[in-house]
Amino acid sequence: MTRKRNFISKAKGSIIWWFLPVVIMLTFFYLYPLLEVFRLSFTNASFVESDYSYTIRSYIRIFTSSSFYFTLKITVIYVAACVVGQLGIGQAIALLLDQGERRGLRGVVLTRTIVLMGWIMPGVIAGIIWNMLLSSSPYGLVNYIIRSLGFEPLPFLHSSTFSLVAIIIANTWRGTAFSMILQYAGLKQIPQLLYEAAVVDGASPLQQYFYITLPQLRNVIFINLVLITVGTFNTFEMILSLTGGGPGISTEVLALRTYTEVFRSFNLSGGAGYAIILFAINLIMALTYFRLISKEN
Amino acid sequence: MRGSKLNLQNLLIYFSYGIILIVFGGIFIAVLSLSLKTPAQIFSYPPKLIPNPIAWANYLKVFQQSKMPIFLYNSIKIVFFTTLGVLLVSITAAYGFSRFDFKQKRVASFGILAFQMISPLIVIIPLYRYFNQLNLINSHFATILTLIAIQIPFTTWLLKGFFDSIPREIDDYARIDGCSRFQTLIRIILPLSAPGIAAAAIFNSLQSWGNFIIPFVLLEDTNLYPVSVGIYQFQSIQDEITTHLLAAGSIISIAPMVLMFILLQRYIVGLLIQGSVKG
Repeated sequence: MTRKRNFISKAKGSIIWWFLPVVIMLTFFYLYPLLEVFRLSFTNASFVESDYSYTIRSYIRIFTSSSFYFTLKITVIYVAACVVGQLGIGQAIALLLDQGERRGLRGVVLTRTIVLMGWIMPGVIAGIIWNMLLSSSPYGLVNYIIRSLGFEPLPFLHSSTFSLVAIIIANTWRGTAFSMILQYAGLKQIPQLLYEAAVVDGASPLQQYFYITLPQLRNVIFINLVLITVGTFNTFEMILSLTGGGPGISTEVLALRTYTEVFRSFNLSGGAGYAIILFAINLIMALTYFRLISKEN
Repeated sequence: MRGSKLNLQNLLIYFSYGIILIVFGGIFIAVLSLSLKTPAQIFSYPPKLIPNPIAWANYLKVFQQSKMPIFLYNSIKIVFFTTLGVLLVSITAAYGFSRFDFKQKRVASFGILAFQMISPLIVIIPLYRYFNQLNLINSHFATILTLIAIQIPFTTWLLKGFFDSIPREIDDYARIDGCSRFQTLIRIILPLSAPGIAAAAIFNSLQSWGNFIIPFVLLEDTNLYPVSVGIYQFQSIQDEITTHLLAAGSIISIAPMVLMFILLQRYIVGLLIQGSVKG
């Protein structure tokens, strides 16, 4: 009798109940899909037929197609340019805001808010807006500015090179806000005393930046790097509405390619293969970053 | 840097604020300007900033001739239920992480954040197939469930941070008074962490409003589309001559969030800063 009562009261007081909803949701919506995508990539399953067999034909097809390597190339260019841009401009703006606050200047909140608006905008709509702004039609604001400066208008949406530039610009605008706010938070943590001591020692602003600001920001920058690299790599909604992957496939980054394989070409097993490659690259990047951080520490 | 605030460095900073405002804010101004022009004005060159006359009717046209009202309603519905669901599920898990110590805790905390790295694209491919077999495609139910799942990792982590800032002693006092763990959560912890829960609710709302890929894949009937998908479809049926309508539609799509953000921005930014410090 006592054994049964103990078990029931133990189950009641068990920690498990607190986590059960989350565990159920995450298992069904994350673990199961991940394993399932992995499994599907090794089949020739499709959405329509229920039976399939196991094969690595999808992967062979992917790795022997020249378009795959082209996709990889433009993805790397896109992600690298965006990350550098977002991190660099984000830090520049964060520094300006932080300095403004430390010196009691005005307009900090306004500037901060305007920059952050880019972050809250959904990717699709950002793409739609930039599509209008970069157009070669008379209403294309960017080309109007370019022409006013005396240059020839650029075919942002019609040339394979410039459409890549277009998605980099648009994504950098959108992502800078996130990097900015992260580094801004990090900057605010730096005690004013450090700077004051440096000034007493005769340090120039540049020296202060390299010897105080950057070292203090190191952890923030690493986390920032991981998050925006993974984020830029995985999202494609903005590209979908900005260029649709084109012209041709010149802006079809890996994430977009995965989507079109599954939902436009209805190639379930091939698309699953792309998805696994996408996930693998994510994993490699994350592990590389973490290894870099632990080496530093 | 005492003395005059208008020294060279400060002037440079003010100047750069101006540039930033023009560059970042100019984008919104440009779309707003486009949305208030007539087709003739759209194609006139050079483009004028403030059109004359101002075509307010564009907005009316978008509301009357497109499904934008339906899209807006769907978005509100989806956001409401998603946010509710995420909070219900995450609050209990976050409390568990915050209050209990168990062996796998470190791994579990890291694991939750690692889920963030699994792109929704990877999630949606087999889910689409699965929901298809269950005939749940084209239902808000499946969409809302999936959206809830996607936000659990981040929300749980965020809420745990807030619960952590409430000392455990308060839990003990409550238990001495006879409350069970669950009652402690409801009666004491929740009211104390109301700001944190509000912040989580705001983040979830912003995220679910803007999510495109999940409803895009899982919904087929235009009447079920939220704004994010609706505006994309709107773009595909427009051509150059109706750019002004697309611009107006875009403004309508982002207006609710921009408004909410402007009203709450001090609060949101403050919490973001707190959160990233703890993280």
